[in-house]
Amino acid sequence: MAKIKTEVVIVGAGAAGAILAAELCKVGMKVVALERGPKLKTIDFNPHDELRFFQRQDTRPDPKKSVVTWRFNTNMKSQPLNSMSYGNQVGGGTVHYGALSWRNHEDDFRVRSATIERYGAGFLPEGSDVTDWPISYADLEPYYDKAEYDLGVSGRAGNINGQKIAGGNIFEAPRKREFPLPPLRTDVASETFDKATKNLGLHPFISPRAILSEPYKGRPGCTYCGFCQTFGCHVAAKSSTLVNKIPEAEETKNFTVITGAMCYRVNTDSAGKATGVAFYGPDGSDNQVEADLVILAPFVYDNVRLLMLSKTSVHQNGLSNSSGLLGKGLMTHIRPSVFVAFEEKKMNIYMGPNAQRHSIDDYNADNFDHKDLGFIRGGQISIGTAGQQGGPIGAAINMVPPPGIPRYGSAYRDWYAKYFASHMSVGLQIEDLPYLNQTIDLDPDVRDAWGLPAPRITYDWRRPNELKSVAFLSKKIEDIGKAMNAKYVWMGDRAQPGAPGGHHTGGTRMGTRPDNSVVNKYCQSWDIPNLFVVGSSTFPTMSGYNSTLTIEAQAYFVADAITKHYRQAPGPLV
Amino acid sequence: MEKKSQSQDSQKPELDRRSLLIGGALGAAASVAPMTSAQSAPKIHAQHEAVQQPKSSHETHQRQGVFLNDDDYATIIAFTERLMPGAPGKPGARDANVANYIDLALSGFLSDQQYFYRQGLEGLEKHCQSQYQKSFMFLTIVQQDSVLAAMDENKASGFTWPTAKAFFEKLRVQTIEGLFSDPVYGGNKDFAGWKLVGFPGAQPFFTEDDMKNGKAFTREPIIGMQQSQTRARKG
Repeated sequence: MAKIKTEVVIVGAGAAGAILAAELCKVGMKVVALERGPKLKTIDFNPHDELRFFQRQDTRPDPKKSVVTWRFNTNMKSQPLNSMSYGNQVGGGTVHYGALSWRNHEDDFRVRSATIERYGAGFLPEGSDVTDWPISYADLEPYYDKAEYDLGVSGRAGNINGQKIAGGNIFEAPRKREFPLPPLRTDVASETFDKATKNLGLHPFISPRAILSEPYKGRPGCTYCGFCQTFGCHVAAKSSTLVNKIPEAEETKNFTVITGAMCYRVNTDSAGKATGVAFYGPDGSDNQVEADLVILAPFVYDNVRLLMLSKTSVHQNGLSNSSGLLGKGLMTHIRPSVFVAFEEKKMNIYMGPNAQRHSIDDYNADNFDHKDLGFIRGGQISIGTAGQQGGPIGAAINMVPPPGIPRYGSAYRDWYAKYFASHMSVGLQIEDLPYLNQTIDLDPDVRDAWGLPAPRITYDWRRPNELKSVAFLSKKIEDIGKAMNAKYVWMGDRAQPGAPGGHHTGGTRMGTRPDNSVVNKYCQSWDIPNLFVVGSSTFPTMSGYNSTLTIEAQAYFVADAITKHYRQAPGPLV
Repeated sequence: MEKKSQSQDSQKPELDRRSLLIGGALGAAASVAPMTSAQSAPKIHAQHEAVQQPKSSHETHQRQGVFLNDDDYATIIAFTERLMPGAPGKPGARDANVANYIDLALSGFLSDQQYFYRQGLEGLEKHCQSQYQKSFMFLTIVQQDSVLAAMDENKASGFTWPTAKAFFEKLRVQTIEGLFSDPVYGGNKDFAGWKLVGFPGAQPFFTEDDMKNGKAFTREPIIGMQQSQTRARKG
């Protein structure tokens, strides 16, 4: 059993953890980070291997070891989820993600107020717990800017200081300056989507991604190899924290990352203050880290689980849970899709960065009038691959053939042989509202490979608001598919209705008061001032956007609060 | 009634399960097995002769044989071939060594699924015996396809755990994996699967024209992991 003493311990060296580590180390703070997975190198991502990295989910947690269970409701027995999409290595999900880098809309930070202002209080869906964030877009804007420039994001501005710019996303919140890097290259699929959506009167643009379109800060530009989402980048053009913030932290000599370290408890003393964490090593050893400041930055599930597992006689309902809200308000993106396949034109969708490459934002957030629609919020629509990436395993597994074509046999073979290179997918990710009975808790019946109770999700998105939203937006992507003059346009059939979708969010909500949230706007526990909980688990609402850039901006925001204020006077920041 | 371990089928004078599995001839011979209806007998004979002298590498199924026994291996070949059948110019599961991929996977990454496969294969044998009094590999193509359809609809008798549907889905997914994963995993022989769909493998880059021309990508060579590793080592 090892005993380590440090100033700061960070659990999880992913998007948030690595940024916090680098920013804290740079001002001289001593940081130890615990990472459950390994530390990989860029050379580990060469050669490309769809079986290993996509199908067998290397770089993601093994669902048999890091078990997460799910049930529709409290009357059902939970079942293990068979695939995870978050990260399991130093750099976390930013190693293998599609690198979409969105700034939330202004109204994404104030869904409740914005809805009431535009439609009246009666318009808020019954049973939902829609809440404003304790921070505004304006609070976070400088940190979005910092994240884009520090990490390396490619894109084209659609709104600089209120000036709308054609070709960019005209619905984006105002930014102070252009992206640090020009947008990534378009391809035949994105151009086909661009034309079709323009014909429908919509406003397409090249999606902003944390992938270098040109050399930047010593890293080369993207080679458009196509082995992108679910893969690590073989030239380090993807701006993962593994290749930018981790080396920066290491350069300070104030940083240690311990890999293979499974944190299972936050230690607290009799006064209720955090004293450090306990973790299992890869050899099964039981180890302790003593620290003045504890920062939790793993994925959503483990933020909630760690706080629940760490309960004591002082914190009987789990740490930071005096509000009773710990684990509540889980949200996931609901993701219908439409497949399109062309008779002659090849899309070669396996080329280039594959996730959500070209987008429209017309049906996201409150960018369209909901007055007569009977639901609030919307979704982000973009063109991409049938699965998470464009290889032939992913497409065969994720793309149900169109009606009339069987799923196997010679007719399927001929269909797939002909249309593999000419298909693409119009994808939709729909904002799910927070409901307090969509939860994460400890599964009483299932344990993971470390003997810890598995995080259990209780979740079913089939609520009146979501059902209406899914129906309305699904029709929109079908219309876009039909506007492309393709041979086949058909709805995908990927997920069990109601099942958790992508980008799990919520569970340690941030808020304005100790009785309405788990942490304050600086992600500091209301109950334990030397405990911070960062990441998308703190989001009160999820937006239709992928959350990584907001997680990263939040990490810079929290780092600023710690280095400029907390460090000088440890104690509540609010 | 013909059981797996019985040697001779009266309708297949020169072909029994043993001969299906002899050395390098396995692939082409197994392709003959499903065609054992009376009217196709002469054709079988002709193809069986072709087996003696393979014409191309596609007729040489390479089997490493690390987990599945001979019977089960032949069953997997026949089953996966119906999921993704080969045809002239269109390589199928057998041409791509899909059964070899599955066999290797079951002794490695998928070793926790060995029991699932044993039980699934037993269910399949029970079903075929009760419906046709023959093992799957000795059924006609039409009969084999009926078995697949019944499993897909989860209506096939004989299965307990896994269900017919679960076993069918597993085989479907692993046929896709064996066809389209890198050849180092034992399938996708000579890039058969990638050639079928026009996928160029692990290309290190694509040009702007590649991405915008809307045409089939045909630049040689197709790149697999062994090629790209060799290149990396050579610098």
